[in-house]
Order: sequence, then structure tokens, then C-alpha cells
Amino acid sequence: METPLYTIGIDVGSNYIKLVLMKYSDSPEILDKKTEKIRKRDPSQVADEMINSFLVNNDLKYNDLAYLASTGEGDLVKRKRGHFYGMTTHAKGANYFFPDAKCAVDMGALYVRALKISPQARVEDYKMTGQCASGSGQFVENISRYLGLSIEEVGEVSLKADAPEVSSGICAVLAETDVINMVSREVSIPNIIKGIHISIANRIIKLLNSLKAESPIALTGGMALNKGLIQAIEEQLKETGKTFEIKTHPDAIYAGAIGAALWGGYRYLKLKDKLELTEK
Amino acid sequence: MNNLSDILDFCKDLAFDLHFKKAKKWKSSYEDRILVGYFPIYFPREIIHAVNGMPVGIMGTGDRKQIIKGDAYYQSYICHLPRGVIEMALDDNLNDFDGFIFPSICDCIRNLSGMFKLAEKGKFQRYFDYPQNFDKATGGLFYRNEMEKIIDDMYKINKIKLTPENLNNSIKLYNTNRRLIEEIYNIRQEFPWRLSAVDTYHVIRAGLSMPVEEHNLIIEEVISHISEDIGEQMDNIRVVISGSFCEQPPVGLIKSIEMAGCYIVDDDFMLGSRWIQGDVRDDTADPLGELVNSYLTQSPISSAVYDVDNPKGKRLVDLAQRRNADGIIFSAASFCDPALLDRPELQKECDNSGIAYITFQYHENTGQFKMIKEQAGTFSDSIKLWV
Repeated sequence: METPLYTIGIDVGSNYIKLVLMKYSDSPEILDKKTEKIRKRDPSQVADEMINSFLVNNDLKYNDLAYLASTGEGDLVKRKRGHFYGMTTHAKGANYFFPDAKCAVDMGALYVRALKISPQARVEDYKMTGQCASGSGQFVENISRYLGLSIEEVGEVSLKADAPEVSSGICAVLAETDVINMVSREVSIPNIIKGIHISIANRIIKLLNSLKAESPIALTGGMALNKGLIQAIEEQLKETGKTFEIKTHPDAIYAGAIGAALWGGYRYLKLKDKLELTEK
Repeated sequence: MNNLSDILDFCKDLAFDLHFKKAKKWKSSYEDRILVGYFPIYFPREIIHAVNGMPVGIMGTGDRKQIIKGDAYYQSYICHLPRGVIEMALDDNLNDFDGFIFPSICDCIRNLSGMFKLAEKGKFQRYFDYPQNFDKATGGLFYRNEMEKIIDDMYKINKIKLTPENLNNSIKLYNTNRRLIEEIYNIRQEFPWRLSAVDTYHVIRAGLSMPVEEHNLIIEEVISHISEDIGEQMDNIRVVISGSFCEQPPVGLIKSIEMAGCYIVDDDFMLGSRWIQGDVRDDTADPLGELVNSYLTQSPISSAVYDVDNPKGKRLVDLAQRRNADGIIFSAASFCDPALLDRPELQKECDNSGIAYITFQYHENTGQFKMIKEQAGTFSDSIKLWV
């Protein structure tokens, strides 16, 4: 029996670190996964501790790993074999969840990126939101905190909206001012949250249009778990007459880490082949 | 032997000491010592060393100095290096220097020499022209005359005569220096993870403001450390960086390229210290003639060197192949005419040879590296996964 190839992918985001352990093969499996909020700690140390406890929990040693790949702010990860850029890994993660996906939208804490991907998960084109954080997960998290909600509640609360008020989609500061005004006008929390989701959804749709996106579109990243946002995207698509098929996966937050682990396995075999060829 | 991290910390501090404290202290220890500042790219430092002088490379201020006065001297479409240098001069960072040499590489440096003259900085300010004719009897003679002017300038200050013995001795020391630097590059060629490109940069740049004898000892120590099996190999691509020969890139830029998954296996960051390829003969009765010969026949690829019989595009491709590089990163200072004018020609040669490349521009005080990291990161991924 062949020795299993274990690979770890670690995605260091601005808020969360995501880690997956995979058994790499033609049909790779996720063996374990974990997320941890960085809070005010040193991300490099958090990443190190996560890797160590992950190895212990899975009865593995560092040397048992074929490849430990980082992505995101992965240069903060000290022990690794290689690093892959975020777009590359999210494309691979989206392809893992939905092999027929032609586009992926990485909805992270700081920005949203729409990627056009090939059947082999190669990034063929991309569009990204600008400098402003108004279309990002961090913004949603900040607003939810101001409104006394936890980030996990935001999606469900948004589904209860009946008359959403859309906030500015251009500037986070203006959007926050909008929210303050809404609160003083006693607009209900579900309507405020839904309004923010609509504003973000509109930005995502604009990105998809400028990318000349094709269906199916896989959503990845932390915000892909937000039911309220997904509903807003679907509604806005209907309103604009677009017929994109949007796909989400419960492990969407791990897309970057999964992509890193998969590319790590691919690189391990590629380097091994190269070495064998040189030795011959 | 000193600990490697201590040596690297020492070099890092010295590399960016914009007050050149070590060089000034060296000068103050003996009366007839002189300090001569030179600007990028190359100057035959041997002739300064031979007359009891220390050549000090002034590579700009990087991101370590706020430019206020410097902006008044140069238009907005001029590169950043001369602004920083003027700022240093007007802030008295360059006091105690006896003279300044401005190698002829572009009009900005030419103007800088005029500004130093008007500001009466140092006892001499010399615009140093290089031959573009590589015939020994023509360009060689011209180059010799240019060097003799500087030798005369220095003689007027400390009355020390340049002798063949002195100059041969200096040539020997600088030969050793170049050989040791090359050895670092050769070790990094095979084991780039043993010494990062940033640390390599600090080690070489530190040598611009300390006696060559001391620098040689430091490099020897670094070499003995990196000859051991230290560090851990990463799955990175190997790149050559081209275009950063004058205004130096911010250290953050070099770090960003490394962090994005690239081993920098060769570069032109501190090109002046590596200019002469191979040794200069140090055993002849005419060592000045040997310095002339070495410039004419052993100069590297550079946008400041005329190359009609030896196209630099081909030489860059050869370098990338010799270093077993996966690609080239063209990284030049904004508004650097020599580098940016050469770029299309060099890229054409890369296209013809099937060498992958990316391009970007920087200022020495650039503070944002996100875009550069993205470009270098996607470049690295595209080579690792799709080539």
C-alpha cells in the first residue's frame, strides 16, 4: 500500500487563520480543519500554535507532511514548505468544491475578488474591489458589533428584513454614517443589515459584470457563509436580470487553505518527479 | 567567530547609517586620511584607497529621511535619489568628506555634481566621465586621464603620492573583496535559503562605508557561516532582478519579493561593488593601466555602458541561464531613464529566449508593497504550477 500524502494548507487572513489537513490523491480528502480568530495576538505565533496542536491531534509529526503550504498573509508562517498567492488558492478551493465552476468570488475580510477560472483551476482573469473596505467582511463585522450582533447572527437577522435601507457602497466611512442615521431614524436592525448586504451584493455583481463572468459561480471566503448576503446577491441578480448560478459550500471559509493544501500536494509530486528525472 | 545574526545586525546598521559615523571616525584617527564620497554606479575605489583615502559609496537616503529641501532642487519628473542626496548634503550629513565623485550615468547625476559645486560641499566635486569607446588607445587613454584628475585632486589635499606599490596593494584588496562577494552569490546560487537577499544586501552595502580590509574579514565570516548547512529550503522560484543599479530599492521591496515566493539568485542592487568581473592584475608596473583595462574588458551588463558589440540583452539572458533562474524581475526606479530605456530591448531578448518576466517601478522611499507582492506572488505561482 502506498504511503498516504498528507498536506496542510494554512490561510492567514486578517481576522481568522484557517487550517486544513488533507490526504492528497486523485480524489483528495479533508481529514481535519480548524479556524481561529487572531484577536490581538501575534498571527505568526497563533499560526505556529495551530499547526503544532493540529499535528498532535492528528498523531502526525512535521516530517510526516509531504507539504505545508501557506496562503493569504502566509509569510507570517514560519514553518512551511511553500507559499501560494491567495487568488491561486481560492481558485483551487472553488474548483475542489465545484469542479464545474467557471468563476469564483473570494469574499474575505478586507476585499472581494472575482476570478475567472479554467477547469484546471488556473486563474484566467480577475477583478477586485478597490481600496475601500465598505464591501468587505471586516466592515460587516464592525457594523454588526455596533448593532450588538455577533457575526454569526448577521445572516439570519438579515433574512428577517422587510424594508431594507441601502447604505453607501463606495466608502466605509459614509456607510457608517448612513448606519448611524438609520439607527437614529429607528430603522430596524434586520433592515439595516439587509441594506448593507444589498450594497455589498451590488458591488459583487458589478465585479462579475466587468469580469464577463460565466456560471456557475462559486462563493468562497468567510462571507460566503453569510445567508443574508447570499440571499441579497440572488435577489439583486434577479433584479438586474442576470441568470448567474451561485454555488456555496459549508466549508467555503476553508477554500484558501484547501487550495493551498491541494497545490502543495501537486507541487510535492512535481518536485519528486523532477528529482527522479535528474537522478536518472 | 562572531554569531551570524550579530554580524547581520552590524551590517544592517552600517548599511543605512546616513551620517557615515564609522567612516568619519576612521578619518579622524589619522591626520592625512581622506574621505571621498562616490555615487552610483561604479568608481575604481582602488585609487582612493591607495592614497590613504576611504571611498564611501553614497547610495541615497532610501526611506530613512524625509525629503523637504531636496524637492526644491529637482522637478517632479526626476528620480528620488538626487533629492535625498541633496537633503543629506544640506543637512550636513556629508560634512567631513573631502571630495565627491559623480560617475557619469545620467543627467540627474550630472546636475547633482553642479549643485554640490555651488553648495561648496567638499574640497573637490568631480563629474567623472566614462569612455563609451572601448578601444584602449582612445577610450582607455580618456579614462586614464579622468582618473588622473581625481588622483591630482586628492594629492592636493593630503600630499600622498600614488605609487605602483600602493595601487597594486589596493587592487589586491579590492580583488579579494569582489571575489568574496562573488562567493556569497555562488553559495546562494546553490543554497539561496542560507542567507536572504535582504541580508546579502546589507552585508554588501555595509562595505560602502567601512575600510575594505574590515569588510573582507566580515564577508569571510559570513561565508564560513553560510558554508554550513543552515536554514530550510522553501519551494520558491529563482529569479534575477534587473534595473536597480542606481537608486536602490527599499529593503521592504526586496523582502516582499522574497516573501512572495522568490529566491533572488542574482541582482544589480550593489552593482558598483561587483563591477569588475574577475580580478584586476595586481603585479604590474602600471596598475593604473590595469584598472583601465579592467573597465574596458571586464565591465558587467549595465545601462550606463555602451554595448554595441556585446548586447546586454544577450548577457542578461546568459546570466539568468547561468544562475538557473526561472524568470527575471525588471525592477527599476521611477523616472530612471537609463534603466527604463533599456527595458524593452532586454524584454525582447527574454521573449526570444522564452524567459518569463514581470516588470515594476519603485521609489527608494516607496512604502506600499502590496501590488509588488501580488505581482511577484502570481509570477511565482504561475511558474510553479503552470510551467
